Amino acid sequence: MNTVLSLTAILFFPSGLFLLASGLLFEWADRKLVARFQNRVGPRWFQPLADVVKLLAKEEIVPDGVHAGLFTGLPIVALASVLTAALYAPLVGLPPSYSFPGDLIVTVYLLSLPTLCVGLAGANTIDRFSLIGATRALTQLFSYEAPFLLALLGPAIVTGSWQIDEVMRAANGRWLLLTQPFGFVVAVIGLMGKLELPPFDAPEAETEVVAGALTEYSGRGLALFHLAKDVCLVVGLTLIAAFYLGGVPNPLVYFGKTLVLLLGIAGLQSLFARLRIDQTVSLWWRYGTLLVLAQWFVMIAWKVLVS
Amino acid sequence: MNTTQQAERFTIPIGPQHPALKEPGHFALTVDGEIVTSASVRLGYVHRGIEKAVEERTWVQNLYLLERVCGICSHIHATAYCLGVEQLAGVTAPPRAQAIREVVAELERIHSHMLWFGVAAHEAGFDTLFMYSWRDRETVMNLLEGLTGNRVNYSANVLGGVKFDIDSAQADAILSGLDFLEKRTHHYLDVVSTDLVFLRRTRGIGVMTRQQAEVLGAVGPTARASGVERDIRVEAPYAGYSEYPVSIVMDTTGDLEARFEVRIKELFESYRVIRRILRDTLPPGDLTTRVPRRIKENETVIRVEAPRGELFYFMKSNGTDMPERIRVRTPTICNMTSVIRLTVGHQLADVPMILVGIDPCFSCNDRTAVIQDSCGNRQHWTWEKLRQYGIEFYR
Amino acid sequence: MKIGAMLGDVTSSLFHSPATEKYPFERRCAPERLRGLLQWNPENCIGCGLCAKDCPANAIEMIVLDKESKRFVLHYHADRCTFCAQCVHSCRHGCLEMSSSLWELAALNKEPFGLYYGDENDVEAVLAGCADPDTGTPDQG
Repeated sequence: MNTVLSLTAILFFPSGLFLLASGLLFEWADRKLVARFQNRVGPRWFQPLADVVKLLAKEEIVPDGVHAGLFTGLPIVALASVLTAALYAPLVGLPPSYSFPGDLIVTVYLLSLPTLCVGLAGANTIDRFSLIGATRALTQLFSYEAPFLLALLGPAIVTGSWQIDEVMRAANGRWLLLTQPFGFVVAVIGLMGKLELPPFDAPEAETEVVAGALTEYSGRGLALFHLAKDVCLVVGLTLIAAFYLGGVPNPLVYFGKTLVLLLGIAGLQSLFARLRIDQTVSLWWRYGTLLVLAQWFVMIAWKVLVS
Repeated sequence: MNTTQQAERFTIPIGPQHPALKEPGHFALTVDGEIVTSASVRLGYVHRGIEKAVEERTWVQNLYLLERVCGICSHIHATAYCLGVEQLAGVTAPPRAQAIREVVAELERIHSHMLWFGVAAHEAGFDTLFMYSWRDRETVMNLLEGLTGNRVNYSANVLGGVKFDIDSAQADAILSGLDFLEKRTHHYLDVVSTDLVFLRRTRGIGVMTRQQAEVLGAVGPTARASGVERDIRVEAPYAGYSEYPVSIVMDTTGDLEARFEVRIKELFESYRVIRRILRDTLPPGDLTTRVPRRIKENETVIRVEAPRGELFYFMKSNGTDMPERIRVRTPTICNMTSVIRLTVGHQLADVPMILVGIDPCFSCNDRTAVIQDSCGNRQHWTWEKLRQYGIEFYR
Repeated sequence: MKIGAMLGDVTSSLFHSPATEKYPFERRCAPERLRGLLQWNPENCIGCGLCAKDCPANAIEMIVLDKESKRFVLHYHADRCTFCAQCVHSCRHGCLEMSSSLWELAALNKEPFGLYYGDENDVEAVLAGCADPDTGTPDQG
């Protein structure tokens, strides 16, 4: 019985197929909101699904000079890692399927695997655009990963535990957004950096390096990378909503809070021009890290004074 | 990749097929990490043989062929051609026609600058500004469609004058459209000069000093942004610019931000001069004057100010109803060397911005080039040899 | 120095409908001067053939059946036409105009683009090949 429940949780609901579907739904919401901010109509609800279906139906062309195993295997690893990371997050407002002490670190690590896979995929080819895109992706990874992790650890410090389940239950009802505003800002912007959303889309800048590290991908590999990015969006939004926006006790509240967060992210996407990669790095290492470290000092000082 | 390959610099090809380019052109950039160390350009991908084709069509037919050298500056090409033919034949178009030519030319300049603005914002990754500026460009395109009958390729000119008149209803529509556009242009000037992230992509990038601009032969707003005081509409007024003059818009900084500001301020000048022409009534009179079918033997030179810079036509007639030779020199070819010189030392991410800063129009600038080797021998290819080369290349 | 100078535009767009014209469900009225498909009114035509001579794309062929009784057929290649309206300007008797309502000209094959204007019997005669096609200008296409 337990095995059946576990398999259902992993394959169908709330992870697995349901998670893929909600990833497509969130991608649609993001594209539609950005379009409305730009005074356009935007795609219809089934557009991301149509994109995935079309990509899966196309021929996969393996370019010369690549390691074929890596080429076909990296998209699978990327998608598998985010699907695994999702098992520890409170999707759809339900408690996480699995939980153990320290799973916050494991989740954040698994969420950064897709970027590593993209970087490796870009370095795997002899195409110059992919190499430059891979270099930029990995540079961006090194810049935002530390502040993002520290921002997510803020609520964990306050709770005194590094288990997502416990942090979420402790944050239930308490909007840590108000007490840790810097952490919230860094977490949201860090999520944008992780997903390579504008203004941090230098690694896949269309007008400079055609598609960055994924230039040589088409067909199934590209579809899996896109799905990995969508699932990463869902899991990231879930974690931020659970930690900073006062927990997600039931599905209605979950969708409400994540969609409001997505509205904010779409607004930020449409407001700014693209940052150059060196500007991204200096922004993160100057303001991002300093903000979150200042937040930490305040938190730790408060904890020491109060206890 | 072994270490020797890693130590070598990369060559990044921008083009001929690239999302940054709206038209094909090939830039080979050698980069070291993200810094460009050298650049070279190769053009000719959109060569259509227009200069050869004009020799086999009559003067009337050539007007429409030359109008289609470029899509965005089509009217100015047609105007230059008409002025040239009228000079060859020794006639002058009536003042009302010249004023209408000026109105359409300035509306076209507005259209071209707004299009450029959107494309430049897109190259910077600022898609929102791209969408809004192109939404506002629809206003000027609708005005042109109501006035001339088409959104691009206006066919406003005929040899000896213009095809249509501007009545009061049209004038009112144009004036109210310009009011809306002027409000939006003020907003865009504000965005371009104060938005922090956008300024970090444009301020101090691609700086060209006045000496460099003069040596490299830059023309148009690209040169005016570096302090070179050249505008054909002011130096050598044509087609109504003597009665309704414009003032030169200049900047001295010479970076990308200056080029943005110069073009947006030129929009204000265009609004002002169109309003002046339409509010003081147009000079009364005919719309066309008679131009003979066979033009006597003569040759002439025409210079006009396209939205991108100085456009130059050399025309020669031989007494028949077909031209002997027409030579078109478009402004983009003058500005292209500045791109190659300026990108060296900048980051790869700045290259599309510098390229779009000169407002490139690759279709305009593909003409034949004469290749001369060091001994002074010229390589001549006949029509048959060219065809044979094409056939064998693809075999 | 502002961060997010487009904020005003972006937020107000949430409360307005999109600027997109939802063609083909919404069609704007075409302006009066739109240069659509060529229309010929044969009443005043004298068969001078200037329209065919001046066309930059050789899209008009004037087929003369009988010059004295003014029986002409205009063979209009709409696929070659550049919609420049030079023919309209060249005709000194106002026989030609560009339609402002016929501008949706897409078709699946070349057939709809070969248009014959003129009296029905004359057109039939031309199509049957019985008339003597004394064309006004050599076909340079």
